[in-house]
Amino acid sequence: MNRRRIVILNTVIVFGFFAVFFRLTDLMVFNHAIYAERAKSQQVKAEDIQVRRGNIYDRKGRAFAVNLELESLYCDSKEVVVDKDGLQRLSGILGMDAKVIQAKFKQGKRFTWINRKLAQDTAAQIKKLKIDGIGFVPEAKRYYPKGILASHVIGMVGRENQPLEGLELKYNKYLSIAGGKVYFARDASGKQLSSGVDMEEAKGNDLLLTLDEALQYIVEKELDKAMAQWKSVAASAIMMDPFTGEILALANRPAYDLNDTGRANQNAIRNRVITDIYEPGSTFKVIIGTAALEEKLYNLDSKFDCSRGAIEVGGKVIRDAHRHGMLTFKEVIQKSSNVGSIMIGMKLGKERLYRYAKLYGFGDETGIDMPGEVSGWIRKPDSWSATSIGAIPIGQEVAVTPLQILRAYSAIANGGSLVQPHLVSEIRTPEGRTIFSFQGETKRVLTEKTAKVFKDILKTVVEVGGTATEAAVEGNQVAGKTGTAQLIDHRTGRYSKDRFISSFVGFVPADNPKIAMIVVIYEPKGQIYGGIVAGPVFRDIANQALSYMNVPMDEDYRNDLLLVSK
Amino acid sequence: MFRIDRRLIRNFDWLTLSIVILISIIGILTIFSATRQPSAGDAGQASFYIKQIVWLVISILALILFISFDYIWLGRIALPVYVTGLILLLIVLISGRTGMGAQRWISLGPLSFQPSEFFKLMFIIMLANYYSFSRESLGVTGLLRVFFFIVFVPFALLFKQPDLGTAIVVLLIFMSVSLAKGLHKKVIIMVVVIGIISLPFLGNIMWTGLKDYQKNRLIAFIDPQVDPAGIGYHINQSKIAVGSGEFLGKGYLKGTQGPFRFLPEKHTDFIFAVFAEEWGFVGSVFLLSLYLLLILRGLDTAGKAKDDFGRLLALGITFMFSIYFFVNVGMTLGIMPVVGIPLPFMSYGGTALLSNYISIAVLINIRTRRFSLFY
Repeated sequence: MNRRRIVILNTVIVFGFFAVFFRLTDLMVFNHAIYAERAKSQQVKAEDIQVRRGNIYDRKGRAFAVNLELESLYCDSKEVVVDKDGLQRLSGILGMDAKVIQAKFKQGKRFTWINRKLAQDTAAQIKKLKIDGIGFVPEAKRYYPKGILASHVIGMVGRENQPLEGLELKYNKYLSIAGGKVYFARDASGKQLSSGVDMEEAKGNDLLLTLDEALQYIVEKELDKAMAQWKSVAASAIMMDPFTGEILALANRPAYDLNDTGRANQNAIRNRVITDIYEPGSTFKVIIGTAALEEKLYNLDSKFDCSRGAIEVGGKVIRDAHRHGMLTFKEVIQKSSNVGSIMIGMKLGKERLYRYAKLYGFGDETGIDMPGEVSGWIRKPDSWSATSIGAIPIGQEVAVTPLQILRAYSAIANGGSLVQPHLVSEIRTPEGRTIFSFQGETKRVLTEKTAKVFKDILKTVVEVGGTATEAAVEGNQVAGKTGTAQLIDHRTGRYSKDRFISSFVGFVPADNPKIAMIVVIYEPKGQIYGGIVAGPVFRDIANQALSYMNVPMDEDYRNDLLLVSK
Repeated sequence: MFRIDRRLIRNFDWLTLSIVILISIIGILTIFSATRQPSAGDAGQASFYIKQIVWLVISILALILFISFDYIWLGRIALPVYVTGLILLLIVLISGRTGMGAQRWISLGPLSFQPSEFFKLMFIIMLANYYSFSRESLGVTGLLRVFFFIVFVPFALLFKQPDLGTAIVVLLIFMSVSLAKGLHKKVIIMVVVIGIISLPFLGNIMWTGLKDYQKNRLIAFIDPQVDPAGIGYHINQSKIAVGSGEFLGKGYLKGTQGPFRFLPEKHTDFIFAVFAEEWGFVGSVFLLSLYLLLILRGLDTAGKAKDDFGRLLALGITFMFSIYFFVNVGMTLGIMPVVGIPLPFMSYGGTALLSNYISIAVLINIRTRRFSLFY
């Protein structure tokens, strides 16, 4: 026997153990993640199930979007035992051809959907049949308890709960979080899956809106009336808190029922207040009015000779709706004189006019939290034509959205600041933890003094001698401005003679505004002027809204009215 | 022969016995886990673990039998035992039952067993007996004589079966026991030189002699990613099982690679992977330690044996277990080519368990009777 050789052999053996030990360390300690991942990927098959989307509530917690719990039926073809009678009855309950069901039973897979999203009572009927090898997985279907109300705000989801419109789309990553899978173990032959269903449910976050259901209802009801009264093509309104930018109501006509989206056409789905641009007309005079005051070009009593009723700009004659005579600065706005406005605009000059328009955010998106917003446009001064300096002050040759106009007037209402319009105030997890809370920034665009002075001019618009006496609200003073814009006739490329967009934008109570609102009526029939068409809609909505919001009547203002009447 | 001597009991090698019984129990638990059916829809659980329990009982009885007499008797009957072994191998080759592309079993009525499992021990007894006649180191002629008379015939028979695993084990036992017995330096140098020179020729002969599945295993060992779903499948699945066990394991009966049929030969050759998946790095190192302890104890027994026959016999058996362990675990961990040999005491298989227990009985026998010269 050779002892040294035995020592060598022993060493070889111990060395072998070390080799095995290091290999184990390598596989199981340092590189385990690779192998664990490979094991999982070959052993686990995941079927997506739809996550419960978060709910959507208005500012008072009233539900606008919820989930209906439904049951989806699947079969495990290895375990299905069903006789002819059972199959017939199943076919009857599901309203599916027995042959189709039979085919699914015979696919040889451990998991096959038979029919998804069945109502609870249908599922209960099927459960009573006691067929072996079939089972249910709970799934959710989106349901909108308010139907048509606020349809453009809420938006909709498709058959597979995919977001399509509105807040459902904009906030999808919060409403629908990742997850929601059924896991099946599978063996090496691949198709055989264990029947053990391991579920990972997920629920999205809830949205809390600035919207108020009651105000939304009032707005939509009045828009319906206006549509009927003026036989208009469309109508829109936005109600906003002028200090915070909280959207209290936002509506368009035509609209659609969120629970019956199949019948909705593109015209009904369009959220005009942010997706449609129009020439604003006289409501745009806020730019030259405030700019002139801010630049101290005029005082309230500066005189404008509008007696000709027309003015020539760059070879084109622009007229007033009515011939006025001599007007003060204040009266130019109150009576919405185009001639006077153009004079102010020309004094202001291209550059300053453009600068103030941009300052108010025209030509830029407001950044409201809804999909599809357009920016509108205003041309740069160097590409203006000779008539532009006459057209732009009175709201032509610019394209705006109703929301942009409303935001500009909110700045007058709140003392000179541009607010951030928004719809979602808070996002909460299903457990109630707040993960997002709106923090808006306001941007000062006017001095408080200018805002105050211009507000006082806007008050006169609804008073006797103004263009919108019909917009006056009982017991509270309204400040606002009418707009009547001609539509371009696409056939002639000129302004149409009979197609107009009538609007009224304003806020109330004027000295302590609770709501700022724009009403836009597209192509009214019979009457065209904003003060006559849109003004009354503003009044009717504001009357109901203020009483809903418990805004007291202003006694002083009432007395003033009485004095004026006398 | 069956008289119980008190000193025998006092000197009895309880440690070795405890280790193998512990490993066997772990083995049965792992077989149970590996062969469980993943879902109720499939056929009921196969009864592999029950059969293994029965074989364990038989093996322990055999162990007691093989401890009860002095091992020097084995030396006296070495030649007839060896010849019997050769005859059994020959019978297998002529009329054996084919399984998995190889003839390995002999059927005796309802029972069937693999003679090659027993042959290894018979071979070690023969080799140890032969080497114990002389205290001299082996020269060239001595080594060649041993090779041609004792090693070559069984190697050829096993290679032809084919039972490549056992054939290689026999060759490795011969080499390691010869080295331990003592070789002239000249011989060692000569063997190494001849080995290196003839490697291309031998390799070529071996390669052409290999069956396709054996060639594929070698290719797969060199590059497992060459065909992970085909010839590299065993190695890849085994590594996935071991690696996904991670540090603490998935837990007993929580392993998935075996029951979901990803891992082939899960309760036999790849049982270590099933164990590692469920018990993790910690469990694997524990099991590794049990085998290390068993082997070191075997070497210690060889060092303490009362005579050269006992010493060589203990060494041969210990080397055999070492080779089995390293080849099997090495294969499972992807550091050795896939050679179909089981993990001693763990893998399912009655003949192997019985033969391993008899081998352990011989080891215990040698240790227990290490002082018997004095009485």
